Amino acid sequence: MLEMQGLTIRAGNKTLVENLSLDLVTGRLTCLIGPSGCGKSSVIKWLSGVLAPELRAEGQVRMDGADLPLPHPAIAYQPQQDTLFPWLTIVENAALGLKIRGMDGAAAQRKVRALFPGFGLEGHEDSFPDQLSGGLRQRAAFLRTMVQDARVLLLDEPFSALDAVTRLKMQDWLTERLAEDPRAVLLVTHDLFEATQIADRVLVMGSRPGRIIADIPITTPRIARTEASLADTRAMLKSLLLEDLS
Amino acid sequence: MSVLRHILPAVVSALVFLGCWESYVALTETSPLVLPAPSDVLNGLRVERAALARHAAATIGVAGIGFSLSVLFAVLVSVALHFAGWLRRGMMPLLVASQTVPIVALAPLMVLWFGFGLLPKVLLVILVTFFPMVVSLMAGYATLPRAFRDQLVSMGAGRWQVFRLAALPSARGHFFAGLRISATYAIVATIFAEYAGARRGLGIYILTAKNNFRADLVLSAVVISALLTLTLLALIHLIDRVTGRRHRRATHA
Repeated sequence: MLEMQGLTIRAGNKTLVENLSLDLVTGRLTCLIGPSGCGKSSVIKWLSGVLAPELRAEGQVRMDGADLPLPHPAIAYQPQQDTLFPWLTIVENAALGLKIRGMDGAAAQRKVRALFPGFGLEGHEDSFPDQLSGGLRQRAAFLRTMVQDARVLLLDEPFSALDAVTRLKMQDWLTERLAEDPRAVLLVTHDLFEATQIADRVLVMGSRPGRIIADIPITTPRIARTEASLADTRAMLKSLLLEDLS
Repeated sequence: MSVLRHILPAVVSALVFLGCWESYVALTETSPLVLPAPSDVLNGLRVERAALARHAAATIGVAGIGFSLSVLFAVLVSVALHFAGWLRRGMMPLLVASQTVPIVALAPLMVLWFGFGLLPKVLLVILVTFFPMVVSLMAGYATLPRAFRDQLVSMGAGRWQVFRLAALPSARGHFFAGLRISATYAIVATIFAEYAGARRGLGIYILTAKNNFRADLVLSAVVISALLTLTLLALIHLIDRVTGRRHRRATHA
């Protein structure tokens, strides 16, 4: 279990995020939602060890009770932009994290290639990112995140660049992959429909300064999640977000 | 067909230009001491081909050594400046200032300081050609998207790994752009250096031809110099094509 406690992020005299705490459990997908500019991405960037240097942050991260220095191999980060390097093939891109952690290049590629069929990327091993559709690129980016074998995954708006239909397909696809290979996931989104569709738990962030204003478990089984069954939860989330904005 | 469509206008305009020049000289009976006709220049090239080849070889040698060292130097300097902010702030004004020095003034001084050998010429070529490459490389490193850097750092990459895996490949297009600009200066700078003092080379050939009132031979050497620069550019283009298949995706995607 990953615990983050008392995260405060400041830019000069301005407090962006104030005393924010959250915990992530293996096998559970937690969605962090909130209005644009509330500091969602800053939280995830801090946990990944890549917060912009002009921002000052204080807070603590523990994994199973032990302090965790950041960035840490137990935490894998997937930025909002898919960040597949255009000059590398999909296999080379996917193996990047393993190579940086010191794995031999050939061994890293073998490990990555073995995962391609399961991710629906078979046949695209030696393609370049610009030859792939948005959905396939997102699968490749997710493969790169998963293959690092980190217990915690931080996904920053992974579906924001996709068209509506691909987006729905990819949401199902992601939850299927995570069911096969459970991790503790924190997924940032501004879309409350998406959050309620895929999450086990939704954390709602308010803005100015960023803090958690509600912690809502989604107990409806995924298979039973429909417009009707989620209507009440969505209405509540919507009013919470609107209240914060006013 | 498309090749013909690309090349034909250039060939036609060149032929028209040379035709006008030839007829002007013939009609006005201008002295070849002042303005030789293209046919005179061509004749000069034919008659003097052995001497021109010998001098061109010397020029190619100097330009080749100078330009190669310049590329190496530019890459090393750009890496150092990229990693050390204080060095960048300290050196950039000096590098810019080095570009404001007129070569006409510097070339004879170089000969005075370093003699008639290879060194002053090579130094002059480096001085003229390395700056565009340094600036292009620095600009190229800066194009690395923030998200690419973040991705690598979150995976545990250090500054050097971020540079090698992402910043350096990102700078490839800029590097070749700088290389092309520098290449156009390389031969000209060598000829300038030879002009100031040399035993062999197109520069000294031009100087001798001018002193003997042989405008036709001056222009013959100029033709050779232009051909050398075009060959160098073609070579760089070829290297870019052959080595950069996967990198072109980045720019033409």
